[in-house]
Amino acid sequence: MLFRYISKRFAVGLIQLIGLTIAVFFLIRLLPADPVSRLVGMNSSAEAYAQAAKQLGVDRPLLAQLATYLGFQPDIAPGLLQGSLGVSWVTGTPVTTEIAAYLPVTIELVTLSFILALAVAVPIGMFGALNPGGKADKGVFVYSLFAGSQPEFWWGLLFVYLFFFQLGIAPAPLGRLSPMSSPPDVVTGFMTIDALIAGQFDIFVEALHHLMLPVFTMAFILSGPIIKMVRQNMARALQSDFVLYANCAGLPRARVARYALRAAMAPSMTLIGILYGFMLSGAVLTESVFSLGGIGQYAISAVLNYDYPAIQAVVLVITAISLVVYLALDLIHAAIDPRIAY
Amino acid sequence: MTRLEAAALQASSMIEPTTARTVLSVENLVVGYPVDGRMIKPVDGLSFKVREREVVGLIGDAGSGKSTAALALLGLARAPGKILGGKVEFDGRDLLKLPDAEIRAIRGRDIGIIVQNPRSSLNPMLRIGKQIGYAYQAHNAASGQQLRRKAIDMLRMVGINDPERRADSYAHELSGGMAQRALIAMALSSKPKLLIADEPTSGLDVTIQAQFLDEMWNTVQQTGSAILLITQELGTLANYCDRVLVLHEGRIVEDAPVREFFANPQHPYSQQILKLQRERGSSLGLELPEGGVKPLLQTRDLRKTFAVQHTKKTIQAVDKVSLSIGRGETLGLVGESGSGKTTVGRCLLRLLEPTSGSVVFDGEDLVKLPPNDMRRYRSKLQIVFQDPFDSLNPRWTIRRILCEPLDLHSNLSAADKNKRAEELIDLVDLDRTLLDRKPRGLGAGALQRINIARALACNPEFIVLDEPTSVLSPRARVGLIELLVRLQKELGISYLFISHDLTTVRYLCHKVSVMYLGQIVETGTVEQVFSRPQHPYSQALLSAHLFPDPTNRRVDKVIPAALEGEIPSPIDLPIGCYLASRCPHVVEACRSTPQTLEPVDTGQEVRCWRAAAGEITAFKGAHA
Repeated sequence: MLFRYISKRFAVGLIQLIGLTIAVFFLIRLLPADPVSRLVGMNSSAEAYAQAAKQLGVDRPLLAQLATYLGFQPDIAPGLLQGSLGVSWVTGTPVTTEIAAYLPVTIELVTLSFILALAVAVPIGMFGALNPGGKADKGVFVYSLFAGSQPEFWWGLLFVYLFFFQLGIAPAPLGRLSPMSSPPDVVTGFMTIDALIAGQFDIFVEALHHLMLPVFTMAFILSGPIIKMVRQNMARALQSDFVLYANCAGLPRARVARYALRAAMAPSMTLIGILYGFMLSGAVLTESVFSLGGIGQYAISAVLNYDYPAIQAVVLVITAISLVVYLALDLIHAAIDPRIAY
Repeated sequence: MTRLEAAALQASSMIEPTTARTVLSVENLVVGYPVDGRMIKPVDGLSFKVREREVVGLIGDAGSGKSTAALALLGLARAPGKILGGKVEFDGRDLLKLPDAEIRAIRGRDIGIIVQNPRSSLNPMLRIGKQIGYAYQAHNAASGQQLRRKAIDMLRMVGINDPERRADSYAHELSGGMAQRALIAMALSSKPKLLIADEPTSGLDVTIQAQFLDEMWNTVQQTGSAILLITQELGTLANYCDRVLVLHEGRIVEDAPVREFFANPQHPYSQQILKLQRERGSSLGLELPEGGVKPLLQTRDLRKTFAVQHTKKTIQAVDKVSLSIGRGETLGLVGESGSGKTTVGRCLLRLLEPTSGSVVFDGEDLVKLPPNDMRRYRSKLQIVFQDPFDSLNPRWTIRRILCEPLDLHSNLSAADKNKRAEELIDLVDLDRTLLDRKPRGLGAGALQRINIARALACNPEFIVLDEPTSVLSPRARVGLIELLVRLQKELGISYLFISHDLTTVRYLCHKVSVMYLGQIVETGTVEQVFSRPQHPYSQALLSAHLFPDPTNRRVDKVIPAALEGEIPSPIDLPIGCYLASRCPHVVEACRSTPQTLEPVDTGQEVRCWRAAAGEITAFKGAHA
């Protein structure tokens, strides 16, 4: 049953991805832009232009380009079917290699931020629901309005000023490691994990240290909506008949709180999933402030350079990850709440 | 001690042997809810006592504070309500003054509670067995396998088949009745000294309801505890309670032994709800002219099937129903939920198209009429639905609601329509000021009267009443029954009264048909069917019904065995008698021979060849 459900979701996801790939392929080409002249320069000769266009393959009919991209003409160039996302028009490097370098940074940042945000926000939201109208509850309300209403790069700058410049407990916002250290061998692309694999514990600590402020910034922003959601779901659960009856049956306070928390977390899963997918590309401002070089920055430079293969790859990869995350959270939701049927 | 108190003390010692210890003593309990800055007090000065081994019934209208009071006895109130004052003394301790941990120890261990909405009161995310285990563990030293075994034992005790499997079910996998049993299992797991049961059988079918109350009553007799039974049903009070408390506007207005309560109610509210019992229908004047009346509506072999999606199978909802209703006559249609009563009602009006058969109204077969001609008949045949809230548009004023049928079926001027609306509202005994209000905020009783007024707007000759009293409080129910009888007498309307409440049917109907699995199994006058039911299913239905008669209590007599087993699926119906799998009188021939309605000696028609042959022993209804 479970296996069938997962395979079904994957099949549907695959269809979505194929549709998306084709749609994005055409939509980009509708843009009133000329990537070739961007590459060869405005004043280049007609021969140079034609040469470049031929090299990029854009002189061929659109459908032929699509066929190549999808991998139906491996003799011309490898495509999706061969596991290739194409070659960047700007750098000439395979897009797959570039994504493998940029994506882990973002995943590491967003995942750690979510773990921190959940660890802080769930207990606070729970506490607020258990003591509604209390001082803490009101404080949290003000915070979630305040934190969410200002953009994260602004908070990032403030934190840099406070924790790096004034207090000196955070490192300079200049990437994933200090310029003096040499990174461990790349295995997974995640700095922390690679450091552990290489057995370089000092690098691991340093990587965490460098992630401290960006993660804190992201978690600071994320906590607002999560607290609100947990508090609201928890308050609803606490007023439900089965919590009332648990009290009637004389169950201990801790057990009743656990009943309510479980009921509150189940519906929260959906929102957390959507938030996560959104943050994969939305983390770009934080990445910029801390010079982290994540997928968001890669996407922006791809768009600015009309690097079509890169744009397509970013859309595809982020969508694929989001779909997997949604599926995972739906499975967790179903594990928490048995009423959810596959 | 004042004279009054002394008198009260003496009176109470007369009722109960002096040895009976007081288990629960409530004094001046007040519960308040803040509404728009004011405090509304649904419980306001509640005082009463419950003694050991006593079954005390608590009756009151909707909104009289029954459920609020039940929770407050445990020191709880639904948010944002609060207990504002009073004393709840249990075993000599005031529960309202105890610290949280101590009162939690008493809840569930000493006082168990069964609430009205069992399925939503069970944790939807935990297996039933686990929940019962937790409830037990909260008050007893046990763990792991012991808890599971205890849960299974409890489930078995409350009569759940295959308790090992059910212990692993979730609440949403249980039927309403099973969820109710699971809740009872939880409430009784620590053997409480007092059980508070808040309408424990609302929403259950009659046959299950009686079985269930019997089990609860037996359990309490065996364990020597006391019950506070909260109910809206006079039948439940009469059959199971020793003493009756009447809750009205948040306080107890009458406290009497059950027989005394029924024989001689003191408070005006009690007198109102008991009015029909005491007058025994005589003043309702249900007499019809000698020699019967001319039939107004007759059906012949009415059938209705529904296709089952994605298969070629069909559900047989109504099967060969033939009935006849005379002018000014009321036919009661009774049976358990799912027996097809409502479908019959809707087919008569072609709200559902019958699959086959005829509905002859005043000489015209409605089933054959083209839609345009049918429209002319719509004003002659009306319907009143079960749920008064959902059948009125909440955005319209009552005036607009009452004028709508006039817009469709008459050419009256606006002024005449207004006049008619006023006549209608007078006709159902409501105040004319209601005309400019919207349904919001009105009680179920008033809304149902508006539904009836709307049905009457175009002078119908026939009205289908589809369980119109089932969601009403006892007082509103009495009022509505009286209204229906009066309207029939004044206007000469015929009714098809669909109900599972046999007590109401007895007051209101001239004839009655009993339905089982889409078929009529017995039909006759109320007198015939209620005093000498012939079909085994009618017998079972009548013996399970709780008539409000404290002189013939169910707990005092030997109860004939209830029907066993489950109702067969309406998709795969048996070849022979539909009741064969559950009937105590079954013989081999029943299983293979389809049954037809046959007249029997006592006057009614019965769909049972053994009854027609006089082979089934007479059953004493004794309630007609």
